[in-house]
Amino acid sequence: MNLELLQSAAADNRWGALFPELLLGCLALLLLVLEIVLPKKHHSAIPSVAILGQIALLIALIVHFRTGFIGMTTFNGLLRHSVEGQFMRVFFLLTSILVSILGVVSLSRQRMPRIEFFHIVIVVSAAMMLLVQSHHFVLFFVALETVTIGFYILVSYYRTNPLSLEAGLKYLIMGALSSSILLFGIVLLYGVVGNPALAPAGAAGSMDFSSVRQFLALHPDNFLAKVGIVLVLSGVAFKIGTVPFQIWVPDVYQGAPTPVTAFLAVGSKAAGFAVLIVLAGVFAPYQKLVIPVLASMAVATILFGNLAALTQFNVKRLIGLSGVSHAGYLLIGVIAAYTDPAAIGAVYFYLFAYLLASFAVFGVMTHVSGSNDAEQELEHYADLAKTHPFLAFVLAVGLGSLAGIPPLAGFIGKLMIFLTAFHAGLYVLLGVAILGVIVSIYYYFGWIKAAFFASWRLPAPAGEAQADLPRVAVGWPAKLALGSLALGSIVLGFYQGPLVEWLVLR
Amino acid sequence: MAALLFYLFAAITLGTAILVVVSKNAVNSAMFFLLSLMGTASLFVLLDAFLLAVLLVLVYAGAVVALFLFIIMLLDMHGGDRKPFKRTTMVASAFAAILLGLGVLGFVQRAQLTSAPVGAEVVAVGATLKGYAAQLFTTYLLPVQIVGFLLLIAMLGVIVLSKRFEGLEDVK
Repeated sequence: MNLELLQSAAADNRWGALFPELLLGCLALLLLVLEIVLPKKHHSAIPSVAILGQIALLIALIVHFRTGFIGMTTFNGLLRHSVEGQFMRVFFLLTSILVSILGVVSLSRQRMPRIEFFHIVIVVSAAMMLLVQSHHFVLFFVALETVTIGFYILVSYYRTNPLSLEAGLKYLIMGALSSSILLFGIVLLYGVVGNPALAPAGAAGSMDFSSVRQFLALHPDNFLAKVGIVLVLSGVAFKIGTVPFQIWVPDVYQGAPTPVTAFLAVGSKAAGFAVLIVLAGVFAPYQKLVIPVLASMAVATILFGNLAALTQFNVKRLIGLSGVSHAGYLLIGVIAAYTDPAAIGAVYFYLFAYLLASFAVFGVMTHVSGSNDAEQELEHYADLAKTHPFLAFVLAVGLGSLAGIPPLAGFIGKLMIFLTAFHAGLYVLLGVAILGVIVSIYYYFGWIKAAFFASWRLPAPAGEAQADLPRVAVGWPAKLALGSLALGSIVLGFYQGPLVEWLVLR
Repeated sequence: MAALLFYLFAAITLGTAILVVVSKNAVNSAMFFLLSLMGTASLFVLLDAFLLAVLLVLVYAGAVVALFLFIIMLLDMHGGDRKPFKRTTMVASAFAAILLGLGVLGFVQRAQLTSAPVGAEVVAVGATLKGYAAQLFTTYLLPVQIVGFLLLIAMLGVIVLSKRFEGLEDVK
């Protein structure tokens, strides 16, 4: 180990390439410092600092979208910067801003410590940004664990509610299991790629994605590599909640605080898919193995998610199980990407449409839920259109977009995925997906029906007032966010313009 | 000699690991876990991964198991009050064990573990303390920094989830 070697290794640590993550980390630390420094009566300003800081960073990120680092690997091959990575950075920042806004609304009804929530949300989204840009299994695993541990805490955050604690424990056990499966897969791949008798490059970069891919291309039928690939894919499938690794989804989604459920549904899933697209590229020489594995998962996921969601009355379980089926549609996009590269853009567009629609629905759920965050039934939405027409409108747009009703953004997303699946010749998957979409319309419209159409109820006994439904007034930041989400879903349905051009037709 | 030692330590590791699961007293489980870790550390020594072996003993056997024992004693858990396994659990675990056994058999028969030609062994970068530290502070600096944040949020999580706050009624 001479000094020059060390210096050259250190010189590749280009911290400038990481300015969004670094600034997010600093912002998170700033929140904790402010909590210590500021007197108690000013503490209510700290969440605004978190939200405004993230919005400023979002603007800076969009202005500097085309950095000079695109296409480069930095940090000695740990990170690879790409246009997709930049897109996902914007995506995660948007997610964490929306989660913070919902968090303000939801935490105002709880007597929990506030600041730590925003701190953890910001750190987790920075870790997600690093996760999708990682190009090396070490960084990949460290970033993934940071995300997962953040979620363990966030899921059980409302600890006065037994359901939240139960969800936290379930997520902890299932998350630890999935991490161990993933780690075992990584270890097997490391073992074969680093084996000097087999490898072309030696052990120097045997955890690096490009050398793994190079190895797989040279040895197209290695048993240990096959087992490793299946285990790594299973570990990622846990995070995105596809069958048979969906077992945690309904309970955890129900018990977690609503903003955290939104974060899990959108952020965690999007991170999983961005990683899956990268890994699908790495495992491309083993297509004959990867495609059947992903395809059988996709079929089971779409069928299970939609059929299980049919019977739910708790809206959080319903949205969780419908999220499972969305993971199935997205998997079809990932498979189609092997024959039609435009499918990658379609998956990203679908994720973006899913973000707009999901946060619209979760925003409404945050306002309609009472202090008991886990008990949100369809009945609570009775007469929402009469008492809160704005919330009902946002809910209808969000659910319509999730169901894929034209002309909303969700429809265009599904259309693009299905078109690329058609180009790729995945007819069976396409048939199952269309069946799933038709089934999903039933439960999405059941929800809309609960909100818009009066249903017969037992008349209240004389002298007893009708129990008030737990609803809160909508403050202006939430109104602005929900309004722009609904508007975004509608506008993106009519006019995709530069976004699709940029994502798909590259 | 090395093969004999390998089988000895592997047997210790596996046998004590099974005892961790089946023993009724939580303190006994923790002590068997300690033995299992020692067995693993010995296996690492046989592989010339001395640093890893020392770290395993220091961190897991030294700190983590001691922590387990502290918590078990703080909570004052009585040994022997755990319910025996249910029949369905037994059937499921037997099924899982058969599957796992088949998996291991598949590994042994089909994995092409060609051993490296003599002299071509690559020394792992983490084999010596010096090389390990050099890697940690140059190539893997970024993951180390991320782990810092990971530990920070883990600490915050402990505070949020366990501290007594005014006006907060906890689940009994």
